[in-house]
Amino acid sequence: MLNFFQLILIYAGIYALMAIGQNCITGYTGMLSLCHAGFLCIGSYVTAIMCKTFGFSFWLSLPVAAIVAGLVGLLIGIPTLRLKGDYLCIATLGLGEIIRNVATNLNPVGYNSIPRATLFGYQFASRNKFAFILLIWFFVLVFYVLFQQLAHSRLGRAMVAVREDEVAAQSNGINVTKYKISSFVLGAAVGGIAGCFQTAYTLTVQPASFTFMVSVMVLCTVVLGGMGNAKAVILGAFIIQFISYFPQLTGLTNIIPAQAKQIIYGLLLVIMMLCRPQGILGRDRYRYGDPRTRKEKLHDFFVRPKRSVKGGKA
Amino acid sequence: MRKAIAIILAAFVCIAAVAAGGASEDSNTYKIGFIGPLTGDNANYGIRCSNAAKLAISEINAAGGIDGKQLELIAEDSEGTVDKALASYEKLAYSDNVCAIVGPVFTSPALAVAQRCQEDGIVMISPSATHKDVTAQPASNPEGLNYVFRTVPSDALQSDVAAHYFYEVMGYRNLASLYAMNDYSQGLALGMKDTFEKLGGKVVAEETCMVGDKDFRTQLTQIRSANPEAIYIPNYTVEDAQILEQAAQLGITVPFLSSDGFSDPEIYNLAPDYTDGVIYVGPAQAEASTILSDFQAAYGAMYNGDAPDSFATNSYDATYIIAGALDRAGSADRQLIRDEVAATKDFQGANGTLNFAENGDLVASQGVYHVDGITPSYVGSFQIVDGHIVQVD
Amino acid sequence: MDTVALYMQYIVNGLTLGAIYSLIALGYTMVYGILKFINFAHGDILMVGAFIGLLVYTALTGEAADPGAWTIIAFFIAMLVSMVACALLGMLIERVAYKPLRNANRLAPLLSAIGVSFILSNGAAWIFGTQSRRFPYPFANDPIRIGAIAITPHQIVVVLVSVLMMVLLTFFVNKTRMGKAMRAASLDQATSMLMGINVNRVISLTFAIGSALAAVGGILASFDFRVYPSMGTMTGLKAFVAAVIGGIGNIQGAMLGGVLLGILEAVGAPLLHIPNSMRDTVAFAVLIIVLLVKPDGILGKNEREKV
Repeated sequence: MLNFFQLILIYAGIYALMAIGQNCITGYTGMLSLCHAGFLCIGSYVTAIMCKTFGFSFWLSLPVAAIVAGLVGLLIGIPTLRLKGDYLCIATLGLGEIIRNVATNLNPVGYNSIPRATLFGYQFASRNKFAFILLIWFFVLVFYVLFQQLAHSRLGRAMVAVREDEVAAQSNGINVTKYKISSFVLGAAVGGIAGCFQTAYTLTVQPASFTFMVSVMVLCTVVLGGMGNAKAVILGAFIIQFISYFPQLTGLTNIIPAQAKQIIYGLLLVIMMLCRPQGILGRDRYRYGDPRTRKEKLHDFFVRPKRSVKGGKA
Repeated sequence: MRKAIAIILAAFVCIAAVAAGGASEDSNTYKIGFIGPLTGDNANYGIRCSNAAKLAISEINAAGGIDGKQLELIAEDSEGTVDKALASYEKLAYSDNVCAIVGPVFTSPALAVAQRCQEDGIVMISPSATHKDVTAQPASNPEGLNYVFRTVPSDALQSDVAAHYFYEVMGYRNLASLYAMNDYSQGLALGMKDTFEKLGGKVVAEETCMVGDKDFRTQLTQIRSANPEAIYIPNYTVEDAQILEQAAQLGITVPFLSSDGFSDPEIYNLAPDYTDGVIYVGPAQAEASTILSDFQAAYGAMYNGDAPDSFATNSYDATYIIAGALDRAGSADRQLIRDEVAATKDFQGANGTLNFAENGDLVASQGVYHVDGITPSYVGSFQIVDGHIVQVD
Repeated sequence: MDTVALYMQYIVNGLTLGAIYSLIALGYTMVYGILKFINFAHGDILMVGAFIGLLVYTALTGEAADPGAWTIIAFFIAMLVSMVACALLGMLIERVAYKPLRNANRLAPLLSAIGVSFILSNGAAWIFGTQSRRFPYPFANDPIRIGAIAITPHQIVVVLVSVLMMVLLTFFVNKTRMGKAMRAASLDQATSMLMGINVNRVISLTFAIGSALAAVGGILASFDFRVYPSMGTMTGLKAFVAAVIGGIGNIQGAMLGGVLLGILEAVGAPLLHIPNSMRDTVAFAVLIIVLLVKPDGILGKNEREKV
């Protein structure tokens, strides 16, 4: 029970990382992208190949995965980002499928028995989940802080401006293409890092894990949490993983058939969306310079002030 | 926000309540786990295997169980992916404390779970993971014992027999192959090609597809223009059915050769007019015993006339092997069970006589079937001895 | 066999596949045209349509009927029943899962649609089982040979029915009152409402028509695809791609996109001499290139953004 809950935390952490990346692309800059499974795949393969084939350390594979995924993001980004809305979505979806198709054709079995990550002589074995939780959530925290800082920086504000109104942003001297591509590259890089951790935990990489459904679920995580709100997408990742695994957590799967588990999952998704269309936490509304003190912030965080939630556009 | 927190808290309370109710340890049962795809694209294979395992359990329980204790099968879904399979493993190994696991059904999940089974010391018997690496996982438990077994022949074993049979018995020299890009089909097709070309034959056309493809006409048209004597299609049932039908539509008349994926009787519902003349290599049968026919009859009776494929049969055997080990071990101690599974000798199962090699691989002869109309007829079981095929019975 | 005949054969095969993609893509395009949202459950409606069609057909003809006049009539009855059932299902889904989200964030219905898709496909697996079923041919299906090219009657039926459906739909959208209302609603919902158009009804009808077309697509696809609970996922995705390529929201575009995608899949890999398992890569790569050249799809309207 506790053990399984730890597993959920690990998976939620991996999803949270992906969601932070997706949030950068979709939440901040407002681009509808559907190839996070592709970035995850690249990250996983980089770790698998570096650690298994070349015997490098896991830690070295982290930055390499981020760079490779970022580069792929850049390569994809430059030509496709002139597309808008759903056309961009379909182009990225196609790229995600291409990445998976190529990976399958290279080797349908993928990699297995990948060496474990070690830190100061400590081996991250899959059975010691607590260490994994610390490791992954440490990185989630790091990226949360980084992206929170980013959101408040010049770069972040420019991205938001691009999301809100491209033409207006352009007329204010913002280089739209530059910010779109930076956000795409950053999002891709974090997706790649999520792939490293997934590989470090499962120690097996299989092309079939990177289907288009994964991309969709990551996007859903962002929508469910609240777009553009880094805190919310992390919560969203936890909730998505939790409702996906709670039948196993509670032993409900011993009683109900497997399809019923999936139906419950689908029902919960629909119900949650109908109850909170703007996401569990909604958009981050304190982005543009927050005059409140920390105490006020905490107060507002737990006691929701009356406000009208404005549905933004993607 | 408050609402969200309240909902989450409420969820936890419910879960805690359920868990408190469900966690009571029942010492009168032995729990056996099953991991396979029960939902998703490949659910059919997983459900058949879990059904077969359930059937075995209910037969054993009906016969009084093991030492008066009942067996319980806990089937968990892998959706055919590594991460879900590992989650199911966590649940079975730590929440349910099963004494052994039947599965996982596909290679990649099996690889991931095999590694954990070796580490944690839990017996795992896969009914259908055919890749060579499954039983090559290092025994990383403190005792250095092997915990991973399978009741399905490895790709190498099956494709060797297939190549020798096609070359030596059927006398083919030019073959074409059409296989899906997954571990199973690719493993068989490449293994067969390797042996076949070593023997002196030639694979004149090698076409590939993806699992789940529906249209094989492009590949078949290419194969048609290469004029092979026969076409090897080591795929799953649905793909094979489509290939046979579309080949007939394109006017391809050469015989088709296949693998144990073809042993699924569903093929005769999906492509009844096109199966005549297919030759496939599958599990051997013990001629004298009625275990297989009894199993098939019981399975049909229990699951509304559905018929088991060879993977389900493997799963049935695997469950009986675990039950036998439990009986001899006399306790749910995982290491004792492992010792007994490893000591299994000449197990008489639905697939004939089974033995395990040192690394947990299945040692068995392979059967060859010729399909006549929609009924497969058993030719005999074969082994490779000194580089030549020998019929053993 | 010479190369020309070989490629003719590929194109015939691709055309069949493309016709099915087109039919399904129409549903995506119509919904998108009005609601600007991707109905991810569309592929699963297709699957439900195929199951209903199969059940009705086998109920009417019995297990193994010889093809004849009755089987053909039964086939069309089955198709009609399945269209009606799917139209109702589509309207129900719209009412329950999408309508409450009409004014929400544009991506909110996406999540809801994913949920519906899970419910439909797993519900079908629960009720009907996971094994694939064969849809028997209602007519004799001996291939017709023209030179070295083989064409089966079912391929001809698939193409004919698809073309018929598309002609009917084009007529409906362009020539009838309701069609006009539909076009108006897709241009501007608020204004259409002010003009006295019942937009809720128009949207319901759009879902009904789209789902009915998906049912036809599902039944036609089941000859080649078999009927099983997850049959709609990949097919739906491909059809969606086809819709976007043609220019989403554009009916002719959906047809063109579907046929293009079908032919690309059949011809792409052999043309480039790469393994056929890479056909998806070829198809998607070409589609991306098409988008780069025509960012709004082949027949898409080039919408100028207003400041």
